[in-house]
Amino acid sequence: MSQKVILKSNKYGINLILDPEIPFEELLSAVAGKFQEADSFFKGARMALSFEGRKLSAWEEQQIVETISRNSDVVIVCIVENDVIREQILKGLMEEPAEDALSIGQFYKGTLRSGQLLECERSIIILGDVNPGAKIVSRGNVVVLGALKGNAYAGAGGDNQAFIAALDMDPVQLKIGDVIGRSADKALWSGSKKKKKTEPVVDPQVAVVKDDNIYIEPITKGLLNHL
Amino acid sequence: MSEVIVITSGKGGVGKTTTTANVGTGLAQLDKKVVLIDTDIGLRNLDVVMGLENRIVYNLVDVVEGNCRMKQALIKDKRYPNLFLLPSAQTRDKTAVTPEQMMKLTDELREEFDYILLDCPAGIEQGFKNAIAGADRALVVTTPEVSAIRDADRIIGLLEANEIKQIHLIVNRLRMDMVSRGDMMSIDDVTEILAINLIGAVPDDEQIVISTNQGEPLAGRTDTMAGQAYINICHRILGEDVPLLDLNVKNSMWSKIAGLFKKN
Repeated sequence: MSQKVILKSNKYGINLILDPEIPFEELLSAVAGKFQEADSFFKGARMALSFEGRKLSAWEEQQIVETISRNSDVVIVCIVENDVIREQILKGLMEEPAEDALSIGQFYKGTLRSGQLLECERSIIILGDVNPGAKIVSRGNVVVLGALKGNAYAGAGGDNQAFIAALDMDPVQLKIGDVIGRSADKALWSGSKKKKKTEPVVDPQVAVVKDDNIYIEPITKGLLNHL
Repeated sequence: MSEVIVITSGKGGVGKTTTTANVGTGLAQLDKKVVLIDTDIGLRNLDVVMGLENRIVYNLVDVVEGNCRMKQALIKDKRYPNLFLLPSAQTRDKTAVTPEQMMKLTDELREEFDYILLDCPAGIEQGFKNAIAGADRALVVTTPEVSAIRDADRIIGLLEANEIKQIHLIVNRLRMDMVSRGDMMSIDDVTEILAINLIGAVPDDEQIVISTNQGEPLAGRTDTMAGQAYINICHRILGEDVPLLDLNVKNSMWSKIAGLFKKN
């Protein structure tokens, strides 16, 4: 005799595989029996429930949940629809932003300090400095409204079209798509860069990939049109 | 209201212990009840700098493990009756206590003291985690060197991640002659990189070496630049607005003038 009800665990909780043929009453008593047997194993676990093998009405689903709680200490948190189409829609929703990483972005406010890593699926605009030893990884572009003195990796999905821009471009290392560039060997500190009383010199620059090399150029209108 | 302050830096040798000893001494001079805790288990120093090494019977680990009562382990300072030291254990290592135990320990001390200063070990491992566990605020000590500043930056990030809200910077061992020549970073250069509030700058002063060797902190000794700088930091910890010391005065001239008063 084939089993009327099979319990199968999945990543959310348990999947009930139900016999499509037998009368509903018989199915209920089979569910009751299964959960009585397994109660000591579940020990009052909280889990999501999903059904397979049989089309159930809302009333029938309700009956099964009640049967489970009457016969065991298992807490059913929710019912997960085992629906292939829905799953694909959800999956699509999850993946869509990745394709648009270059044109969709988000903000991060604060200074990234040594040892801190910021990873994001979209472009990132940082309102603060990126200090040496800190690292930003983005599938899209990286814009630093401050000093970029650490490591930045744009186009982390392998997109060489991405760019990295900063108000003060002084990185240890840059990576765009699959191209890596490092800073010139120089003194880590060589006198104050700015004379205090004069206005601060802002020299925004952008790094892009051309012919498999990273080029850093001043941001001009003409250049922005080509990004 | 008592406050628990951790003195930390990341890098070793920048002056955490010296700062702890001097800030603690300074706060005691300002009539606060202060306890210094050496959290550098296995490499204790604070007792030496304070000149109290010969008085150690019990230590921090003994208190945590319940081998003695807190009162038995606290050492009263030679000079100030309202200053105490809880020494570290030398024969154990950092794993001998946990952050939870440190929190319990500092909470117990809050009832008795105005200021609880924690001398943090170098590094970012267990010893650091223990030291910052019970802290309300932090003093980050750095020297104007690239390597010390890198480590300070890392430490500030970790303090922020651990939700220590009040973080202040002490720039230690400044040499104004080098700064004016452009060979050393200025206070402004350092604060620009680290982007936190400065609470004081301490000049490189050979008197510090002498005072450490003698086991006599020099906070409040106004005949020395460093002693003046430390007492100023203490005033700022109490919330007073004290202008930054003009470090440009030549060291030798300063001590000469001060020396005249001392002889009388």
